[in-house]
Amino acid sequence: MNELSRRNVLQTMAGVTAGLAMPAILTRSAKAAGTVKLGCLFSSSGTMANLEGRLNFVAKMAADEINAKGGVLGKTIEIVTADPASDWPLYAQIGRQMLQQEKVAALFGCWTSVSRKSVLPVVEQANGLLFYPLHFEGDENSKNVVYVNSPPASSVIPAVDYLMSSEGVSAKRFFMLGSDYVWPRTINKQLKAYWKSKGIPETAMREEYVPLGFSNFQTLVNQIRKFADEPGGQPVVVLTTVGSSIPDFFREFINQGIKATDVPVLGLDVVEADLEGLDTKPLIGHLTCWAYLQGTKGPANAKFLKDWATYVTSKKVPFKPDVAIDPMVSTYDAINLWALAAAKAGSFDVPEVQKAFAGISFDCPSGYKISMTSENNYVARGVFIGSVNEKQGFDIIWQSKDTPKPVPFSPFG
Amino acid sequence: MWSRLLAAVALFCLVGAQSSAAQQPLDRPTLLRQLCGEAPEVLAGAQSTAELAATAGEADLDWMQAVLFALVDRRLSCGDDAVTLRLPAGTIVNASTLAPATESASGRTPILNLRSRGVVEPILAALNLLVGKDANVKLEALRAVEKKPQPTLLAIVERALKIERDPQVKGAIQSATETLALRSPDPEKQKIAIRRLSEEPSTRSLTLLLNLRSEPAYNANAGYKAALDGAISSIERWLAFSNVLATIYNGMSLASILFMAAVGLAIIFGLMGVINLAQGELLMIGAYVTFLVQEAFRAVLPGLLDWYLIAAIPIVFTVTATIGMALESSLIRHFYSRPLMSLLATWAVSLFLVNLVRVTFGTQNLQFVVPFYLKGGITVVGDFIITWNRLFAIGFALLTLGGTYYILRRTTLGLNMRAVTLNRTMAGCIGIKTRQIDRLAFALGSGLAGLAGLALCPIYNVNPQMGTLFIIDSFMIVVLGGVGTLVGTLVAAIGVGQINVLIEPAYGAVAAKVIVLLMIILFLQWRPEGLFAVKGRRK
Amino acid sequence: MSAQPSFYSRFAADRFYLWNLVALVGVALALGHAAAGGGLLSEYAINALGQFAAFAILALSLDLIWGYLGILSLGHGLFFAIGGYAIAMHLLKHSYLTTGIVPDFMQFMGWKQFPAYWVWFEHFPYAVAAGLLFAFAIALVFGFVSFRSRVNGVYFAIITQALVYVAMLLMFRNDTGFGGNNGMTGFSVVFGARLGQSSVTALLALAAVVTLIATLIGCRALVISRVGAIMIACRDDETRLRTLGYRTIALKLSIWCLSAVLAAIAGMLYVPLVGIINPRVLSPELSLEIAVWVAIGGRGRLFGAVIGAVTINAVKFLLSARAPELWPFMLSALIVLVALIFPNGLLDLPALRSLIREFVKRPGAGRLTRFKSAS
Repeated sequence: MNELSRRNVLQTMAGVTAGLAMPAILTRSAKAAGTVKLGCLFSSSGTMANLEGRLNFVAKMAADEINAKGGVLGKTIEIVTADPASDWPLYAQIGRQMLQQEKVAALFGCWTSVSRKSVLPVVEQANGLLFYPLHFEGDENSKNVVYVNSPPASSVIPAVDYLMSSEGVSAKRFFMLGSDYVWPRTINKQLKAYWKSKGIPETAMREEYVPLGFSNFQTLVNQIRKFADEPGGQPVVVLTTVGSSIPDFFREFINQGIKATDVPVLGLDVVEADLEGLDTKPLIGHLTCWAYLQGTKGPANAKFLKDWATYVTSKKVPFKPDVAIDPMVSTYDAINLWALAAAKAGSFDVPEVQKAFAGISFDCPSGYKISMTSENNYVARGVFIGSVNEKQGFDIIWQSKDTPKPVPFSPFG
Repeated sequence: MWSRLLAAVALFCLVGAQSSAAQQPLDRPTLLRQLCGEAPEVLAGAQSTAELAATAGEADLDWMQAVLFALVDRRLSCGDDAVTLRLPAGTIVNASTLAPATESASGRTPILNLRSRGVVEPILAALNLLVGKDANVKLEALRAVEKKPQPTLLAIVERALKIERDPQVKGAIQSATETLALRSPDPEKQKIAIRRLSEEPSTRSLTLLLNLRSEPAYNANAGYKAALDGAISSIERWLAFSNVLATIYNGMSLASILFMAAVGLAIIFGLMGVINLAQGELLMIGAYVTFLVQEAFRAVLPGLLDWYLIAAIPIVFTVTATIGMALESSLIRHFYSRPLMSLLATWAVSLFLVNLVRVTFGTQNLQFVVPFYLKGGITVVGDFIITWNRLFAIGFALLTLGGTYYILRRTTLGLNMRAVTLNRTMAGCIGIKTRQIDRLAFALGSGLAGLAGLALCPIYNVNPQMGTLFIIDSFMIVVLGGVGTLVGTLVAAIGVGQINVLIEPAYGAVAAKVIVLLMIILFLQWRPEGLFAVKGRRK
Repeated sequence: MSAQPSFYSRFAADRFYLWNLVALVGVALALGHAAAGGGLLSEYAINALGQFAAFAILALSLDLIWGYLGILSLGHGLFFAIGGYAIAMHLLKHSYLTTGIVPDFMQFMGWKQFPAYWVWFEHFPYAVAAGLLFAFAIALVFGFVSFRSRVNGVYFAIITQALVYVAMLLMFRNDTGFGGNNGMTGFSVVFGARLGQSSVTALLALAAVVTLIATLIGCRALVISRVGAIMIACRDDETRLRTLGYRTIALKLSIWCLSAVLAAIAGMLYVPLVGIINPRVLSPELSLEIAVWVAIGGRGRLFGAVIGAVTINAVKFLLSARAPELWPFMLSALIVLVALIFPNGLLDLPALRSLIREFVKRPGAGRLTRFKSAS
C-alpha cells in the first residue's frame, strides 16, 4: 500500500479528480434552442413503479399533442424523465437536480404524499412549480405546488355520504384499513371527525394500519369478518392501503368469501390498474371515488382513450393500451394546464405562470370543464363514484352535477 | 337414479302447473321497465317479483329467474324499443318472451348499485331455490337466503318446502325455516330456532342470539332463558375453539411460505457457507416461469388451463435449477474462500435479475388464472375458514419437505451432500467430487426457490420486486434453525409463523414482525449455532 | 526492539494518501470561497459535494471495521440514521420554536405537543451528544453480545442486516413519534439562518468536507499506530492473536463503537443538506450499498472508501436523471467485476497492470485470475 509509485499516484489522482469533478460536469446546462423542458418525477422501479411508471408516458403523450399543435410560445416541449426508484429522499434529490441543473420550467410528479412532502421544500426553496396529480389528504397549500386532483372534502366525503345514505347501504360501522403514512392517517383522522359530527359512536369505528408493501392480510381479513358480524348495523371497510397491498387485500377478501353486499369496501386509492391481476367477479360492487373513471361517456374521454391506445401501441409502451386511470388523466390535465397558463402569461418564468393560473380552464377527458381560481393552487374537478365490475374496471354509479369548489383545509380534524 | 330424478322433475312440473292454473299471468313488460329504470324502480320491481314468486306459475318463475339472473350478471340490455337478454349460453333473446331476438341499438345495461344488489341477489337465490335444477344449486341458494333473511322471502321458502322432493334439500329447507323463525312471536318456535343456531356457531349467530336477551320472554320464561343462555355459551365455546384453530391455520400458512422460501437457502448455506442474496430473485423467476407456462397453456391447451399450476412444477424446477447451476459455475465458485465477498456478488446478481425482469416484463403485477381448485374456501367450524390457496401452499410445503428429505436421506447425492457439509476436506479425501456436489446442491437449492415462487403465485402479487420481501426473513429462519439441518429450518419456520400470528392481532403486523426478528437476533447472540446445530467443524 | 520511524514520517510515508488529502483541502477551500459568496461552484454542485463528503465519512466508518478488522457490517445505515434523526429532531424543534409551524407528523397524528423524548432537542449540543451517545450505546450493547459469543463473518453480516431491517420497520410506524414513513422534512432554519440559502448550503457542505478531512487524518493516525497493527493482525488471524494473549473483544468492540459514532456523524452532516430523513436510510439495500462503495474503492486503504463513495454516488446522481434504466445494470456489473477480478478495489492498479500483462501474454487463455485479498 505504501509502495505506490509516482505514476500510480498520478493515475489515481486523475481518478479522484474525475470523481470530484462529476458535479461540475453535471453543471453543464443543455438548453437546446427552441425547446422548453418539463421534468417528470415518477418512479419506474420500486413499489410504486406499476402505477407511477405509466404517468411518464402520459406526460410525453400530452407534450407530443401540444407540440403537434405548434408548442407553447413557439417552443416545443421536451419531457425529461428520471427514476426516483420509489425512494422518497431521491425524489427531492432528482427534483433539485431537474430544477437547478436541467432548468426545467415545471415539475410533474409524485404519487404518495410522502414523496410530495419530500419534494416540497426543494420547490419552495428554488421557487419552482410542482404539478401533483393525485387526490390526497389536503391540509396543504403551497404556492409552488399545483394540486391537480381533489382534496378529501370534495372526493372522499361525498363517497362516504353515499355509503351512509339509504341509496347506498346505510352504513353504520366503519373499519378503516390503511398503509401507515400521512395520507391514510390524515384521511382517517378527518373521517373520524366527520362521523363524530354525524353522531356515530367511537365504538363503531376501527382503525388498523399496515406497513407499505404489506401483503399478508389473512389475519386482518379475519378481523374484518368478525367486525362485520358484530351487532350495530351495516359495516363498511374504508381502504386506504396503497400500491401492491391493494390487490393482496382483495385476493384475501375474495378467498374468505366476503361479498360486496355483505361488507362493501370503499377503496380510496384503488384504480383499474390495481385490479389487473384479479378475477373481479367476486369483487363486483366494491366502491372507489376519483375525479375521473374510464367508463365516463363523452367525446373528450373517447379521444383520450383512443390517443392513449395509439400511443401505447406505436411507442411500445410497457403498459396496457386499454386501461386509463385518474392520475393519468390528471397528469394529462396538468401538462395542458401548464401550457395554457404559460401561453396566457407569455412567459415560462414561474412567477408569471403562477399569476396566470387564475381563470384558466380545460376540457378534461372526464367530461368536466376543470378550472383554477386566484384563491389557491387547487383545481376544481368533478367527482365520480365507481363500482367494481367483472371486467376489471369500474361502473359509474354516481357523479357530481358540476365541479365542486375545492376546499384545501378540511373543516374536520 | 335417473328414473328417480326424472320422476321428481315430472312431479315438480305437475305441481307447478297446477298452481299456475290459478294465477293470472304476470305483467312482464311493466316489470322489465321497472328493472331497467333508476335504483328505486329496480328495488320496487325486485320486491314485486319476490311477492309474486310465492304464488306464480312455473313458467313465470322460470322467466323471473332468468331475468333477475341476467340483471345481476349484467346480461340484460334495455333498449328504447325492446329489452333483450343474453342467455348464459350466449344467445340473445327477447326479455319478455324469451324468443330469439337481436339486441336493440339503443341497448344499455342497467347497473345495480349496492343497495339494489343486496336486495336482488337474495331474491334471485330464493327463485333458484324454487326452480333450481340441481340439489347443490338449491343448497347454495338456501344459504344465501338464510344469510340475508327478508320477510318477503319467507313465503317463497315455505313454498319451496312444500314442493321440494329431494329429501336432503327438503331437510335443509326445513331447518332453515326453523332458523328463520327466530323472530317469530311464538317462544316455542324461537326456542327451536335458538337450538338450530347454536348448531351452527359463528359470530353472526352469536350476535343474533345476544339480541334476543332483550326479548320479554327472556325474563318471563325460565325455559326460554335457559335455552338461550345455553346456546350462547355453547356458541362462545365453539368460537373460542374455532379461533384457536384459525390461529394455528394462519400460523401454518405463514410457516409454509417461510419454509419454502428458506429451504433452498438452507441447503446452499449449509453446504457451502455461501450466502446467496439472489435467492429471492430465483423465487421471483420461478413465479415468472409459472406465468409463462400458463400463457403457453392458454395458447396451446386452453381446455386444460386450470392445470397449468401442476404442469409448471417440473418446468419451474428445471429452469431455476439450471439458472442456479449456471450461477454457481460462473460466479459463486470463486467465493467459497471469501464468503463476505459472496454477499456483495450475489446482491449484484439479484440487482441484475430484478432489473432484467423489469425491463423485459414491465413492473405490473402478472395476471394469474386462479384454477377452480384454488378458488374460495370452506367454513370448517365457527369463524374458521380454510382457504384453498393457502391450503395448497401448506400442502406444497409438505411435499417439498418430503422431497427434500428423501433426496438428503435416501439418495447417494444426499449422502454425499451431507458428507461435504460435515467435513469438506475429509469428504474430498474419500473420493467425493466436492465440486460436483457443490454444483448439484446449488442447483437443488435454486430449484426449491423456484418452486416456492410457484406456490406463491396464487397468494401473493407477482412482480419483479417480490423476491426482496422474503430474503431477510428466510435468512433468519435458516440461521435460527441451525445451518445445514432440514429439521431446524422446519421448526424455525413453524415457530416464527405461529409466534407472528399470535402477536399480530394484539399489536399489529409490524410489531409482530419486529418482535419476532428481535427475538431471533437475541436468541442468536445467546446461541449462534441456532436451534439444531450440525455437529461439524465450525467454520 | 528496533527503533521505529517517527510518527510523522510514518504518516507521510503514503504519498497516495497525502496527495488526495491535498486535493480534499482544495475542495474545502473552494467551498469556503462559495460560502463567502464566490460563484465558482453552482448551488447544485455545492450541495452534491456536501452529500458526497457525508457519504465518504460513512464509507470510512465501514472501512475501519471491514478493511482493518475484517468485520463486515451490513447494518451501518442504522448508525447513519441515528445521527440523521438526532439532527433532524433538532432542526424540526428549532424551526418550530422559530417559526411556530407544527411539524407534519404531529399534525396528522393529532398531537398537540412533542413526545417526551424530544425534550431539549432544540439545543444543538444536546442533540449532537444524544445522537452520538445513542449510536455508541447501541453499538456497545450489540457489539458486546456479538463479539462475546464470537458471532462473526457472515453471521455478523446477516444479523446486522436484520437489525437495520427491524429498525426500519419500527421507524415506519407513525406512533413511534419520529414521523413514520414520511420521516422528517420541512426544516426551515439552521442556527437561526434560513436553510436553502446558497451561503448556508455552502457552509454546511464545508462543514462536511472539513469533518471528512479531520476523520481521514484521525483514521490514518489510528491505523499507523500500534493499535492499527494489532487491528490488521486481528483481521488476518484472530485466533492466533487471542492465543497470544491479546484481548480481541476489547479491541473489536472499541473500533466497532468508534465506527458507529463516525457513521452517526456522517448522518448528522447529511440530513441538513438533503432536507429530509425517513426510514429509507434504514433499508438493507442502502447498507449493502455502503459496503459496495468500500469494496469498489478498495478496502483497508482509507481513501479507497472515500473514492468509492464519491464515484459511485456521482455516477448514480448523473445516471438516475439521464439514463435511469442503465444504473442498476452498471452497478451490478461493477460489483461483479470488483468481486471477481479486483478484490482490492478498482484502484488496485498493480492488479490491473498484471491482468493486462497476462492477457497480452496469453490472449487465448482468457481466464480470470483472482488476486489475493484481505478477506
